[in-house]
Amino acid sequence: MQEVVNVAMGQAGDSLARFLEVFIHLSVPRIRLVEREELNAELERMVGGQAVPVSGVSQGFYQLDSGTGIRGEAIVVFTDSSFKELADLLAYDDTLTTESEKELLLDVTNILNGACLNGVGEQIEAELGFSPPSIMGQHVPISQLLEYQQASWDHALLVEITYTLEDRSFSCTMFLLMPGESIQVVKQALDRLLEDL
Amino acid sequence: MTHFDASKELLEFIVDRVNIGVFILNQNHEVQLWNSFMASNSGKSAEEVVGQNLFQCFPDLPERWFARKVNSVFMLKNFAFTSWEQRAYLFPFRHNRPVTGGMDHMCQDMTLMPIKNADGEVESVCIVLFDSTDTAIYRNMHQAAMQKLEMASRVDGLTQLFNRAHWQSRLVEEFSRAGRYKHPMSLLLFDLDHFKSINDKYGHLGGDAVLVRVAQLVMESLRESDVAGRYGGEEFGIILPNTDGGGAMVVAERLRRSIESSPVPFENLTIAMSASIGVVEFCSDFTDAEHMISKADEALYRAKEMGRNRVVPAS
Repeated sequence: MQEVVNVAMGQAGDSLARFLEVFIHLSVPRIRLVEREELNAELERMVGGQAVPVSGVSQGFYQLDSGTGIRGEAIVVFTDSSFKELADLLAYDDTLTTESEKELLLDVTNILNGACLNGVGEQIEAELGFSPPSIMGQHVPISQLLEYQQASWDHALLVEITYTLEDRSFSCTMFLLMPGESIQVVKQALDRLLEDL
Repeated sequence: MTHFDASKELLEFIVDRVNIGVFILNQNHEVQLWNSFMASNSGKSAEEVVGQNLFQCFPDLPERWFARKVNSVFMLKNFAFTSWEQRAYLFPFRHNRPVTGGMDHMCQDMTLMPIKNADGEVESVCIVLFDSTDTAIYRNMHQAAMQKLEMASRVDGLTQLFNRAHWQSRLVEEFSRAGRYKHPMSLLLFDLDHFKSINDKYGHLGGDAVLVRVAQLVMESLRESDVAGRYGGEEFGIILPNTDGGGAMVVAERLRRSIESSPVPFENLTIAMSASIGVVEFCSDFTDAEHMISKADEALYRAKEMGRNRVVPAS
């Protein structure tokens, strides 16, 4: 799985760099399967503490042409300080208004999710569809971000990615929430993939 | 996509007539498909638009923004989305709630989908445009209701001054601001004299009339930045940001006089009233906002002891 995401993230970084017209270096993503109870503590550790203000965007994904394929939710969390770095570079308009900041959050999330998940999908031969991204919260502690989320999943695939934008560093955390049976589907697809090699 | 050919006509019919905007653009932003929804709302038929550049057909579109979205689909081979919450609409269409909606144009959400050829290259982009006007209207109603609720949770129902909880949280904010920026700040705490006997003599309705009138006098005597709240039954607090002790004494004395000289009409009678006021100026020795309140309370207590209807500064 690590390898599949590595390849996918390489594509994601390339896409992002082309689209945003800035040079981007991506770290090797760190991946881990976590249980629901551990998730909050794990995320707090990643962003650097309980009180660190973050913004989060969520986007649903599902396998097209299969009712039993993978489906889940991809959530990208940006710390405020690092999002500001990104925003400075990429603002659509000259000044970053509340609305353009939201649009940037949504667009960057959509690009990251699309690139990463389409890459994963390609490798396991599944075509994915996406729902529109929606903002879960802005400038709030991370625990508040997940407070109202219905817990209809047991495990999450945590993908931690760090980008370096020229002289600036910018990191965000993506996590893929999938119900148990979807993780099974991914696992089976990976097994098939490995057999083919 | 397996049964595409068998029902091609049916699919074409559905795409054309579905009550959602569907159009397709190629790499040069030339329109490849334009369904009935788009035609009837834009006033331009498929014959007029297909084969033409979208931005030339509709010169008022936000080209830089929308072209970037479309180009991202070609480049990234990925879906893209737009939401009415960030940009209310792409096309200035009319909507079906012109009377009750309170909106000028149809709010629009869009999904941009890549259409790939056999080699996996994106040849064109299909744009699906949803009318989100109803959602937008409900969202606005919801927000207005939330604002009212928020107001209601802050305000004392009788006097329309802030309630104790909200007033205290504002005091904590102003207290820490004064400490941080070394700004002066003062606090008045006042109590209506002999309020219990007013209640006994005129009943609770009389007492209420007095409280409402005093709240009005307080509001009239304050500046925009001052924060007045009902602290307890007949006790009120006023936060005066950027005001030193001397200034606070002037405000307090003016308020005391205005209360004294404004008897309240009640059922053919008039109820005379007066207030005792404690004044305290912010001092960096105070440990917290509670400490400041207790100083004001002490001053208020002394004002009562000294015969009421007077202003006393904290020692």
